[in-house]
Amino acid sequence: MNAQDERSVGELLLDADFSTRQVLMDVTGQDAPAMLRTWGEVVQSASELWASLPQPVHGGTGPIDGVTMARLEAMSLGMHRTQVRRGWPGDGPADERLLHVAETLTRAADLIGRRGGHIRPTDTAVRADLDAARMRIMHTLYVGAHGVGVAAREHVADVELSTRGKSSRESRGVPRGQDAISRLAAFEQLAGAYVGNRFARAAQGEHVRGPYGSERLQQALIGWDIQAHRTLAATPTAPNLLLTARTQAGIATAAGAILHAGARTGHVDTHAYQHRLAPSLDATQEAWTHVADRWAEMTSPADRTDLDLVHAAGELRAAVREVAHDKTTWARPDVMAGRVDLGEAAQHLQQALSAAVDVACVIRDVAAQDANLTGPARAMSHRANADIDRATERGHRGEDVVWVTPGDVYANRTVTIPEPVRAGLVDATDTLVQTASNAMSAASCLDRATQDRPTGSGQEATAPRSRRHEALTPMAQVSPRVARP
Amino acid sequence: MMANDTIDQDASDTLAAVARLLRHAAVRAWAQAEADGPRSHLHLLGLGIHTASCQAVAMLPADADLKGHPPAQDDVAQLLRAAEELTRSIPVLDQTAGISPLVVAICDLVREATP
Repeated sequence: MNAQDERSVGELLLDADFSTRQVLMDVTGQDAPAMLRTWGEVVQSASELWASLPQPVHGGTGPIDGVTMARLEAMSLGMHRTQVRRGWPGDGPADERLLHVAETLTRAADLIGRRGGHIRPTDTAVRADLDAARMRIMHTLYVGAHGVGVAAREHVADVELSTRGKSSRESRGVPRGQDAISRLAAFEQLAGAYVGNRFARAAQGEHVRGPYGSERLQQALIGWDIQAHRTLAATPTAPNLLLTARTQAGIATAAGAILHAGARTGHVDTHAYQHRLAPSLDATQEAWTHVADRWAEMTSPADRTDLDLVHAAGELRAAVREVAHDKTTWARPDVMAGRVDLGEAAQHLQQALSAAVDVACVIRDVAAQDANLTGPARAMSHRANADIDRATERGHRGEDVVWVTPGDVYANRTVTIPEPVRAGLVDATDTLVQTASNAMSAASCLDRATQDRPTGSGQEATAPRSRRHEALTPMAQVSPRVARP
Repeated sequence: MMANDTIDQDASDTLAAVARLLRHAAVRAWAQAEADGPRSHLHLLGLGIHTASCQAVAMLPADADLKGHPPAQDDVAQLLRAAEELTRSIPVLDQTAGISPLVVAICDLVREATP
């Protein structure tokens, strides 16, 4: 410990917080063993610091109490005992960055012990400071647990890849790592619930063993589809439509990457992928992107997006990343094949591409019929004129009409969308429905391709047909609406 | 949508700046993705940044100023790092509930955007 360190408790807490952020931004799978060895020290130091903070005079038991910290400490001790019992990650160097966090928290606890023990939190401002300190400690544990979890996930993925086809002894790091991932996820959710994580579902201390791989992808796709329908039925606003279109574009992009990997590894018919799937996925991706750009023009920076929709999009993105990403880009086909059964993933994507047609129809209906669609005056005026000019170039000469008043443009008020903008939107969504239908048709070959895929490819068998049928969701079974003439 | 009317002015101003940076970063990521084509992984990076910006906006009061000139930088990773640095001055309090997952989301995006 640096004897010259004259930082305040608040500054030490910020240091610990920023250090965990830096860890999270730089973490890799190689860091996992050292981080897992050191994480317990961070939690122990945080717990000691927490205990050193003056307690409420009247023994208050609001949300700012010691129960959560006690549970987190117990979880950390449980993890440590498991590590000792299993001999993993075993002896080795500590993670210097997390060690720094632990030392910083210990330094703060020492400081309070030496200089602040007399403080009685009767004053409102002092109580607020203490609450803020507790929040910062919990926030640091939340960010730190996420960082260790990211390292553990990447480590497990690396071990899975390098030990594929080898003995269970050589691949035993996988179940050990997965156990650590589950415990860290529970820890993160509990700490996240404390700091007001409205996106988390507070785990009641139990191990969270969420689905992963293609099962997680399937659930995320289904969850997204249901939430998109719910949100668009209740609040078909431009920001919600923008996020829906962007997420659907993301699904098409991800489908392209995963099915490409499937074709390269023998899980998807190569000819069908090259000649039918890839072109139709590209076309529907571009159509979704084009429609998203249109909705984006109709949004203002302060517009709010439905947080349930945001959460569903975030989960979908995370599920895709788990299957298809490797650090900053797509994973190699063999890497994806090592993570999940790509035939099974193809099935889930086929259902998602079917469901996408219905989402496209809903969006087209909003574009054509919703009388409440509005947008910023300047963007609407610009878009109306651009669409009129385009029509003129195609030989349709209309009357000169002022679609948005100069006063509205000057003040950039929110205005009802002009008729040419709506017409352009309807055209774009008509194209969208058509391309989504084409992608659905092209993807129908995936059923057969999966059943016909070569055996002995090193992958686990796909689910039996009966199970695949059970997995179909009501949304996916909805017949697409007939395209409007 | 619900708006947060309990957040203090300094935190609100900073968070609004974070939201603007994220929004611009998403636009830049998507512009690059569209230039690269429909198979670009940047489509999903842009989606992640956009959802983070939605999280930031959700924490703001209804009258927060989210307009203003777009930031000068165009580099997505730099914009994300700038957004993370700004979040450091936002206190972690009941009034800023949601800042912790936002910080985690931005740090994850920095890692994802940095080669």
